[in-house]
Amino acid sequence: MSQALPRRMATLTGLAISVVIASWWLGSTRLALDDRADPSRAAADALLLTWLVRGIALAMLGPRSGALRGWRPASMEAFALISPAWPVVVFAWHASTLPWAHAVLAELLLFAAGGVLALIGHRLRMVTKRPDFADALAMTLGVALAATLWLMRTLWAPPAA
Amino acid sequence: MLQRALLLLGLALCGPADAAAPPQIDLTATPAWKGWSRPGRPSEVDIRLSTDAATAATVEVVAGRQSVYTELDLQPGRTVRLHVPVGPAARVVVSVRPSTGATQRRELILLQSESPLLGVGLAAGGPVQLDGFHAVALTADDLPRNASAYSSIDALVLDASTLRALDQRQLAALLGRSASCGRIVVVNTDPQVRRLLDGSGECGGQTLMSADTASDALELLESSLAHARPQPMASGGIGELMGADRAAWNGVVVALAMCFAATALVLMFTSQMSVLLLTPALCAVAAMVLLHVVKPPAQLVVWSEGASGAQLARYQAWHQFPGAVRERTRMRIPPQLAANVQPCDATLDLRFGFDARSGQAMFAEFETRLFRQVSLCYSGSFPMARAIAIEARSDTVREVRNTGPKAWPQGKLLLEGRVHELPSLGPGAHVTLSASGGHPPDAAVQRMARMRVQPDKVAALWPLELGGVSDIPADSRAWLLVTAPP
Repeated sequence: MSQALPRRMATLTGLAISVVIASWWLGSTRLALDDRADPSRAAADALLLTWLVRGIALAMLGPRSGALRGWRPASMEAFALISPAWPVVVFAWHASTLPWAHAVLAELLLFAAGGVLALIGHRLRMVTKRPDFADALAMTLGVALAATLWLMRTLWAPPAA
Repeated sequence: MLQRALLLLGLALCGPADAAAPPQIDLTATPAWKGWSRPGRPSEVDIRLSTDAATAATVEVVAGRQSVYTELDLQPGRTVRLHVPVGPAARVVVSVRPSTGATQRRELILLQSESPLLGVGLAAGGPVQLDGFHAVALTADDLPRNASAYSSIDALVLDASTLRALDQRQLAALLGRSASCGRIVVVNTDPQVRRLLDGSGECGGQTLMSADTASDALELLESSLAHARPQPMASGGIGELMGADRAAWNGVVVALAMCFAATALVLMFTSQMSVLLLTPALCAVAAMVLLHVVKPPAQLVVWSEGASGAQLARYQAWHQFPGAVRERTRMRIPPQLAANVQPCDATLDLRFGFDARSGQAMFAEFETRLFRQVSLCYSGSFPMARAIAIEARSDTVREVRNTGPKAWPQGKLLLEGRVHELPSLGPGAHVTLSASGGHPPDAAVQRMARMRVQPDKVAALWPLELGGVSDIPADSRAWLLVTAPP
């Protein structure tokens, strides 16, 4: 299969995530501005959401993509999924009270996770030597990782301003 | 070699002795009102500094989340005195950092009274008590130089000798308090002083009173407590006049929409990794540049009120600084409004730069971020010459006359809950209006005016020119509401 389609799908997924989160954040901010409330909380929540949702999407797609298409294409797909949210991250960080190191570290972690998850999927295929079994195993692993991320979401939460 | 070592040793030993000793600074800090205040109310600190050697020094006064700092040039034999307004706090820390030498600190505890405070500045006479009030005996020097510090007390009784002992700045602050309808009784004053104070008290005679004796003063105060003072407008009310600033929000929406559209467009034509990564990366860089380049403009709204024929109008102003990037910013405070400035939000971390010469805040420093709107609140009074007379010609026809010495501009008349157009009128000129005409208040400023006027009262509303006020945003808005006599 051509690598172009999965890469486009990954970018499209990242774009969809970014559009939805940006819409929610800007809506919350507009309400806060109209009520003369502090919009920084909504910005911090939007940042948390961009990291959490992209993390979950990476966990679901990364290992499977690695198992099916190999480490390098899967890593590229992961980066294509992560990058569309950067403009949202820049704006939301400027509206939040989070330290810049927190935001940079989260983005770097997502990048690292994209590479590592793709590698795990690739290694699963190498170890099992059966693509269908590696696919199922990678999918199970992805779901488990995504569930773990969701359950541990409060650990990602930034401290209250 | 030995000679060189001895020379170095000699220099090392003699150096400290030859170096100028750090200046010895004598710091005294005293709170106004003998240290009494009320919870959540601003006050003032009187700081005296003297030194034995010329030095530059930075004075910082920290009260709660707000601080005030100023830079001074101290000279030997000259005592520098500062009267620094401080925000609401029970503990105030004054520190002086000379250019050389150690920092000196003084910690002041402000006594927070749960009961209303009665300031008593009577040179002669026994203790004065008013039911429910905590009385604080004062000398002239205990009275503040900043009108904002008068918020600490709820009523004040002063006699002629205390009044005479006040300096110019104290008198100005006292007159400012009188103009803002603070309850003040002057005892046994000469006619000249009484005339001066009568001109400044424009609250229907309910708040600035004259008495012959201290006991009369207390009776007057007790009777004045039965009448409510004109309440300042809540900050939310002024904010409503300003409207929410959505320029930054609109800008971010457009920028994000363009970024998403660019990414989608690129996605349609290519799947090259470098392009897919570069597009959002460039968008993010452009977003950062946009935030640093585009500065949302500040806004200023001034709302002033006065009674027809009064010499002074009270004003409140709201100066809003919308943020765009995360940075510490410094904003200039309009000097004409700086006499009584404080952050509208008491929980805001804010630092005022104080000019020791003028005794006013010059600028405010605070943290900004995207969508954050930091606001400063100003209040005070200004001279006014508007007088209006309303006469009923029939059940529905009213004659509105300009009884003042100056012409009016065009404005609005609030009559029986409806808004009428008020044409510009010269002194003595009049216009006839039908009470059944007009229209219900439709603009925010008209609704605000109706809320501020009692239903049975008639009032005129005019837009004000802020030509005499410097360092204000270009599209600042101001209004004057003048209540007509019944």
